[in-house]
Amino acid sequence: MTYFLQNVINALQWGSFYALIALGYSMVYSIMMLFNFAHGDIFMTGAYIGLGIATGLLAIVSSGVIALPGWLILVLTIIISMFITSLLGVLVERIGYRPLRNAPRASAAITGLMIGIILETGNLALLGAKRFSFPPLIMTKAYNISGVFVTNKKILVVLVSLTLMLALDLFVRKTKWGMAMRAMSYDFVVVPLMGVSIDVIAPMTFAIGSGLAAAGGVLYGVAYPVLDPYMGILIGWKAFVAAILGGRGSIMGAALAGFLLGFIEIFVTMIFPSTLRDLIAFSIVLVILTFRPHGFFGKPYSAKLRL
Amino acid sequence: MPLLQVKNMTHFFTGLRAVHNYNLEINPGEIRGLIGPNGAGKTTIFNLLTGVLRPTEGEITLEGTDIIGLRPHQIAARGIGRTFQNMKLWRHMTVLEHVKMAHYSQLSYGLTGAFFGTKKRVRQENEIEEHAHTLLALMDADQFADQKVLNLPYGVQRRVEMARALATRPKILFLDEPTVGMTPEELVGMMNVFRKIHNELGLAIFLIEHRMKVVMEFCQRVQTLVFGEVIAEGTPDEIQNDPRVIEAYLGKEEVA
Amino acid sequence: MEVKKSNPGNTKRFSGLRHFFSGIPASGWLLAAFAAVLLEFYVGDPLTEILGLPKIPALFGIVIILKKPHLIPGAFAYVGLIYLLPIIIVAKITAPATNWVSEKLDRMPLWFSAILHLVLLYFVLEIWTDISDYRLLMLKLTLIAIMITLSLNIINGYMGEFSCSHPGFIALGAYVASVFTVGLFVNDRLLGHALLPQALGQFLFPIGLILGGLVAAVGALIVAIPSFRTRGDYLAIISLAFMFIVKSLIENLEVVGGPRGLGGQPDWATLPTVFVWAVLCVWTINNFVESTMGKALNAVRDEESAADAMTVNTRKTKMIAFMFGAFWAGVGGGLFAHVLRYVNPGTFGIKKLAEVLAMVYFGGLNSVFGSIVGAVSFNLLSEALRPLEIFKWIIIPVLLILVMIYRPTGLIAFKHFNVKKILRPRPGSKERV
Repeated sequence: MTYFLQNVINALQWGSFYALIALGYSMVYSIMMLFNFAHGDIFMTGAYIGLGIATGLLAIVSSGVIALPGWLILVLTIIISMFITSLLGVLVERIGYRPLRNAPRASAAITGLMIGIILETGNLALLGAKRFSFPPLIMTKAYNISGVFVTNKKILVVLVSLTLMLALDLFVRKTKWGMAMRAMSYDFVVVPLMGVSIDVIAPMTFAIGSGLAAAGGVLYGVAYPVLDPYMGILIGWKAFVAAILGGRGSIMGAALAGFLLGFIEIFVTMIFPSTLRDLIAFSIVLVILTFRPHGFFGKPYSAKLRL
Repeated sequence: MPLLQVKNMTHFFTGLRAVHNYNLEINPGEIRGLIGPNGAGKTTIFNLLTGVLRPTEGEITLEGTDIIGLRPHQIAARGIGRTFQNMKLWRHMTVLEHVKMAHYSQLSYGLTGAFFGTKKRVRQENEIEEHAHTLLALMDADQFADQKVLNLPYGVQRRVEMARALATRPKILFLDEPTVGMTPEELVGMMNVFRKIHNELGLAIFLIEHRMKVVMEFCQRVQTLVFGEVIAEGTPDEIQNDPRVIEAYLGKEEVA
Repeated sequence: MEVKKSNPGNTKRFSGLRHFFSGIPASGWLLAAFAAVLLEFYVGDPLTEILGLPKIPALFGIVIILKKPHLIPGAFAYVGLIYLLPIIIVAKITAPATNWVSEKLDRMPLWFSAILHLVLLYFVLEIWTDISDYRLLMLKLTLIAIMITLSLNIINGYMGEFSCSHPGFIALGAYVASVFTVGLFVNDRLLGHALLPQALGQFLFPIGLILGGLVAAVGALIVAIPSFRTRGDYLAIISLAFMFIVKSLIENLEVVGGPRGLGGQPDWATLPTVFVWAVLCVWTINNFVESTMGKALNAVRDEESAADAMTVNTRKTKMIAFMFGAFWAGVGGGLFAHVLRYVNPGTFGIKKLAEVLAMVYFGGLNSVFGSIVGAVSFNLLSEALRPLEIFKWIIIPVLLILVMIYRPTGLIAFKHFNVKKILRPRPGSKERV
């Protein structure tokens, strides 16, 4: 039982990353009907930006200009890297997607893939093949709750992710811009005629999605300190799978499916050897999609990749 | 024996009744009309009869054999050709390719022929090409054979679609609002096409149409559909003077 | 008949050049290339010495451009003297003769003429690759890339699905063919003693390749069957899941070496073998997509419900597309494994996916010609940029993004590959300008 609960905690943490990234996919999808395949690499870039900011802040603190506690540095790191990565998201939209808005969607998918490769390679070119460790901003504390070990970092990851998701939910439901986004996702053709420009909404969506991915990246760095330029690929594609499983464009669905995928992966490794993780997780995905071809929350509506 | 017979067909869309207790009999060479306000379920009836949707209840027989449960391409191959309200042409294909494609079920060269280009394939491809040209000539569209359909004027696109439907060698042709959005000149051309299909090929036609002029001129019998139910059936004259029809349909819309 | 789009500016600018070359048939170009490679074979070495080059430029000097810029003049002179000038001169001088030959061939059955041209092409390539092993390897990999690109174009271009499963199909073919050859004909640590004499293997090798292709085709059913009900994004995910499953499955199969991979494949993927398979692949695929049965893929892509109503069996069409594409990907994978004589599951991941997608979309969708151009140019570019090391992976993506922005369906999309037209005689007087 404790073993089970222990894995629930692990799965919650692991699922948080998938959920945060899947949200970005899902939001971009709901507005623009396409998947931003560079998203996994934006997550990676976010983690590296976080690394840079954390290192910089630590240097300032150690030089004695101002004194900041570790948790404040972490919060600042998350906020600043979210902001910078949002700008990157806007840039990606401007360069890779806006020129292709009327092109076949498959072409946009290709530009996304290529931007992803550019981000990976750019990182390698700038920083070299050396692996970087995320600086330990807060001390790891482990709590033993009747046999179940919970670290403060795991709690932090889950809490911050949930907070961000709730904030997103509130933003989308309550604010003017959030409502404009939702309207745009219902009708791509008419809403722009009502004075809501796709040229404003699309970059905003990319910015928010990228910001969430950056938060995920920083949290990932806190939980698993070694970063490498290719870390975004697999986790990004899996989050993409989660976004689809949740049903295209469904924000709640994407978050839930992210956690679900985390649970599947953690519990597969609980029962089977860890090398079988991908095999079984993706087999489950395949079976789900074969029998529920529109995901959990998606509408049975088929958008074609029109040529 | 009627060519196509439908008995007590009913269809539900997730609880919503779209078609109720629909009956139809079409004899060889007959032209039948189906009119009704928008959303009455006319296209749904086409989709039910062509196998796109499966009726919840009822019987559909084509030349005496049951066709319920067959896939659309099988029903099409058995002799129900159709056109679509929005044409559904294939954006990247030429006119000739469109008409050749509709011969699909008449090809028997199989994968060997497709992969290795056997003599049989060359012969069959030539045969259907010739037939396609004949049909295009019949539709006055042969001069466009090598052009992409999307570059053609609307009236020509409609005629190409008609040639495509005829290429399936139908016994009965379903036309879903074939004159919608046409200019008067295009309309005249289309009516000539109807005459040709009927007089030269002797096909039975089942027509959904909004323009009463077309219905009056061609249809031998007309059904009026309102909310999935046939409220009146008869000759065009009877229908035009039927108070229920006038109330439900003609009364609300201007007769074109 | 094909409707030609007129492009006045372009035509005017190149009309002189075009007129100069217009009278030369395909056979003339091949003959000229043959002369050039022969010339290189005999005088290549002395010429490199005279020009001060360390060795014969392997790929027309494109590798040297970025690696050793001071050698560029020499390499250019070499390419000019060995390839450009001789080819132009020979092609122009022999044009009347080759046109006469092409005229005669044009009246014979197409297959006969095509085979003659291919034999000539083969000899050109054979002599060309005789100079260096690097050229040989490059050529084999490029031919395999053409097969794989074309097979993916069937699914992604002609049928318009975004399938990500191709690395999985390639992996299946590579492993099945490798297990066949290594298991039967080689004493191997993993797969035990050879069961059959190696001399026999050379003849049974095609069976191994076909087996690999068939296994890949059966695997394709896992993607094809869901495609009856779903399209677009969900199918993309299903195919992606398939790719991950195949990769993970192989990693967990210790019999074939798990993540360490499987090596020791016999050296049977010789140039003639790869060439013949590549030709077979292009030939059958081109036959298929030019037939009405093959064009049914386009109908399903452009408007599936209309295809159904026009008697096209859409399910069968989808199955054929996936299985046929997967078959050739599998055969290509088998050849790939035997060219490199080593495979590991890591090869068949996202990176491979990005590469094959890049080749298809760069070259052009719905086009055999485009796929050939895409595969060849991608491979050449990739070699030319090799000295830049990792910056290569910035330049190639940027190029591809530019292609996507300015030609969203690729460079040479929606073009027919008409063999008869390519091989036809081109007597200058009859040429329309």
